[in-house]
Amino acid sequence: MDLLQTEAGKTMLLLGNEAIARGVLESGVRLVAVYPGTPSSEIGNNLTAMAPHIPNFYFEFSTNEKVAMEVAGAAAIAGVRSLMVCKGPGLNVAADPFLSLAYIGVRAGMVVLVADDPSMWSSQNENDSRFYALMANIPMLEPSDPSEAKSMLLQAYDISEQLEIPVLFRTSTRVNHSRSPVDLGPIRERPDKVQFIKDPFRFVPIPSVAYKRHAWLLGQMEKALEVSESTPLNFSSGSGILGIITSGVAYNYAFEALSTMNVEAEVLKLGLTHPIPQHMISEFLQHHRTVIVVEELEPFLETQVRRVAQLKGMTVDILGKDQGYFSRTYEYSPRIVIETLSKILNRKTPIDWGAIDGKVREIPPLPPRPPLLCPGCPHRATYYAIRAATRGKAIYPSDIGCYTLSIAPPLETADILFDMGSSITTACGIAQVTGQDVIATIGDSTFFASGLPGIVNAVYNKHPICVVILDNCTTAMTGHQPHPGTGLTGMQEKVTPLDIADVCRGLGVQYVRTVKPFDSMVDLVAEVRQMVAWTRERKQPSVLVSREPCAILTAAERSRSGELLQPYHVDTIVCNGCKRCLTRYSCPAMYFDPDSGKAVIDETLCNICGTCVAVCPQGAIRKGEQ
Amino acid sequence: MTRMTCNTAAVMNVVLTGVGGQGVLTLADMMARSAMFDGHNVRVGEIHGMAQRGGHVICTVRIGPCAMGPIIDPGGAQLILGFEPIETLREIHLVAPEGLVILNSHVQMPVAVSMGQIDYPKRESVLALIRKFTSNILEFDASDLAKTAGTGGSLNMVLFGAAIASGLTPISRDSALKSVRDSFPGKFEEMNVRAFNLGYSMVKDKLDY
Repeated sequence: MDLLQTEAGKTMLLLGNEAIARGVLESGVRLVAVYPGTPSSEIGNNLTAMAPHIPNFYFEFSTNEKVAMEVAGAAAIAGVRSLMVCKGPGLNVAADPFLSLAYIGVRAGMVVLVADDPSMWSSQNENDSRFYALMANIPMLEPSDPSEAKSMLLQAYDISEQLEIPVLFRTSTRVNHSRSPVDLGPIRERPDKVQFIKDPFRFVPIPSVAYKRHAWLLGQMEKALEVSESTPLNFSSGSGILGIITSGVAYNYAFEALSTMNVEAEVLKLGLTHPIPQHMISEFLQHHRTVIVVEELEPFLETQVRRVAQLKGMTVDILGKDQGYFSRTYEYSPRIVIETLSKILNRKTPIDWGAIDGKVREIPPLPPRPPLLCPGCPHRATYYAIRAATRGKAIYPSDIGCYTLSIAPPLETADILFDMGSSITTACGIAQVTGQDVIATIGDSTFFASGLPGIVNAVYNKHPICVVILDNCTTAMTGHQPHPGTGLTGMQEKVTPLDIADVCRGLGVQYVRTVKPFDSMVDLVAEVRQMVAWTRERKQPSVLVSREPCAILTAAERSRSGELLQPYHVDTIVCNGCKRCLTRYSCPAMYFDPDSGKAVIDETLCNICGTCVAVCPQGAIRKGEQ
Repeated sequence: MTRMTCNTAAVMNVVLTGVGGQGVLTLADMMARSAMFDGHNVRVGEIHGMAQRGGHVICTVRIGPCAMGPIIDPGGAQLILGFEPIETLREIHLVAPEGLVILNSHVQMPVAVSMGQIDYPKRESVLALIRKFTSNILEFDASDLAKTAGTGGSLNMVLFGAAIASGLTPISRDSALKSVRDSFPGKFEEMNVRAFNLGYSMVKDKLDY
C-alpha cells in the first residue's frame, strides 16, 4: 500500500511492475482491465490491493485478455483513460479487438501493456509482441528499467490522446521483474462518470466505415512519425565512429558493455520504437561507418534500420542478427554484447569467459531442481488418481497453469498443450481420430478464461472426452488472483461465485460430478474409472470437478488462524524402504534416508494433506507424534 | 549522459542462489533497501512465477552508481550467498576470481534424488568443485543457526548477517538491521534480528580467526 502515498519527490525501491502500478495513479487512469500472466502479474496484484482505496477508480481481473481489451477499449472510447495488461501470449488472445481499436481509435488515452518473456522463464513461447505494433499500426513504447517504465507510461497517455489511438507499451521480464530506485510524482485525479457520446459511423466498423478509417489510421501514423522524431524518448548520447542503436532492456547491456570495454561509441536509444524516427536514424547512419543494432529476440529495429538505409541509398554497415552477430533466441546480458563487440572490433574480452566455461564443463551433472507441484498440492492427488485409474495409458491433454508441471515423472500426465483452454479442444481432436481414452485437465481460472467454448464444442459435436477440472479456488501460478469462481472481484467486493459444475451442466454436459481429492484416494480412483467408462459407453463428454484450495492458500490460512494440525511421519519399523511413495507419488516433502534405508517426511515442508498415507502399501505413514 | 564514462568495475555484485521457499527474493529486496538507506544506487534482478514451487531460484543485487541492468555475468560476483549446496554449485560460474562464497551446508534433497534417479554429490566434492572457481569459502549450517534463533524460516536473515559481516558490501550494519526491523512485524522481529546477529557473529568469528 506504500504505492498509494502522495509524497511526490520521494524515492522508493520498486519492482518494475510496482513502478507501473504507481504510473497508473500518476497518469490518472480511470479503468484497468487485466488478465494475470507472468511477467506482468504484479501490476494487477498491486492495483487490486489499492483499488478500494482510490476514488473514481475501477479495476478488474477480466475473464481473459480479449475481454480485458474490450472493456478497457470501450472505457477509453467513452472518454476516460484506461489500461489493459497482459503477457505476450495474452496479446495473441486479444489481437482481434486490438486491431479493430486501431481503426476506430479512442477519445481518451488508452495503453495496452504487453509483457514479453525472453528466455521463456514462465511462458510457452518467446513471441516478440512488437510485431503487433507494426501490424495494427499502433505506436509503441519500450522502457528499459522500472524508473523509465513509470515515466514512460505517463508519456504514453499523452501520445495516445494526441493521436486518438491506443499505444502499445511493451515490457520484458527483466523490466517487469527488476527493482530500481523510482522517484514518485504527483497522483493525478480521475473523472467520476462521463457521458458516452454516440458516433456510430466511427465506432462501428462496418465495411463502409472501416474503408475510411484505415486511411485515417495511416494518417495518424504519419503524425506518430513526427512525434517519434521529436520526442525525448528517442535520444543519442556519447560519441565515436561506432554507432549503436538499441531499445528496451538491451540498452543497459549495451551501455555496460561499452563502459566495461572502454569503447567509445554513440548510442541511439529508442524509447518510441514504432514508428521509428526515420530522419533521426538516417542522420545517425550518416555519421557512422559501422552501426550495431542491439535488441532482444527478433530483428525488429534492425529490419527497420535497414529499410531506412535502403530508402536513403546508404551503404553503412548495419550489423546485427541478420549476419549472425546476435541471437534471435533468449534474453541478453552484458556478456553477450561484450562478446559481439569484441568480435566486431577484433579485441579480447575483458573477462576470460572461455576459461570459466571450461571449468563449468568439469562440474558433473547436478541433480536437477525444476519447479514442482508443492507439497500438499491437491493436483498431485488428482493426477495420481488419474494415472492409477488409467494405468498411464490414456492420452492426457494439459493446459496453462501450475498443473502443467505434471509433465514431470512420476505423474507424467501432460501430453499436448497449445495455449489457454487447449486441453479440452485438443482432447476433441485426439478422441475423434484415435479411439483412445482422452482425459483433459484444466484449472479453474483457465476454465473460465478459455475453457467454455471448448466445452460447448465437445457437447454439441459429441466428442467422447473426459475433462477433469482442477479447481484450487484461485489463479495459483500467477500469484493467487481471483477469478469468477472465487466470489471476489478485482475491487475486492464479495460476490456470488459461479459454480463450475453448474456452468458445465448449463452448457449441456450430461455427466458432471464433484470430488474432493484429499477425501479418499480409493474413491478418487473409482470416480475417474467411472467417468472414463461413462464416456466410452455414451460417446459424449464427461466432467469431473476436483475441488480443493491451493496448498499455498491452505498453509497461509493455517498460519493466520494459528491452527495446529498433527503432522505425518513415517513409522520406521513398518517402512520397508520400497520407495513407492517417492517413485510413484514424489511429494517434495518426502525423501529417502540412505542411512536408515527408510522414507522420511520433512515436517518443515509437509503441508499435511495426508495423501501419502494411501500411497504407502505398508501402511507406514501415520498421523500424530512419532 | 555521464554513464558513458562509468566504471562498471566499481559495481558490487551479489548473487543469491537457493530453492523456492527459502526466502531468496525477500533477502534480495532487503539488501537493496538497506543499500538505499546508505545512499547507494541499486538494481535487483529476480525471476518470479516458479519461485514458490520448490524450484531453483536465483536473485542478483547490484550496488553502485554504474549499476544499470539486473544481470551479473559469469566471473562478476564478488559475493555469492548460497542457501543450499548444489544450488550454489549451479551458479558458481558467476563468482569473481577469488570472490567470496558464503555457503549454507544444509542439504535440501531434490525430488530426482529421492526418486533414485541421481545421487546428491558428497560434501567434499561440492567444496572441491567450488574451489576450482574460488578458494574463499565460508561454510556453515545456516539452517541450524536459524532454528537456534527460533525458526528455520529465518535462514535468509542468517545469511544477511553473514553477508554484512563479510564487509564486502557497502551496506552498514545499522541500515541492514533497520530493514530487518522494518520488514518483520511483532514477534517475528526479534526472531529475525537474532538470526541476523547469529549469522553476523559466525562470519565475524571465522574471518577474525
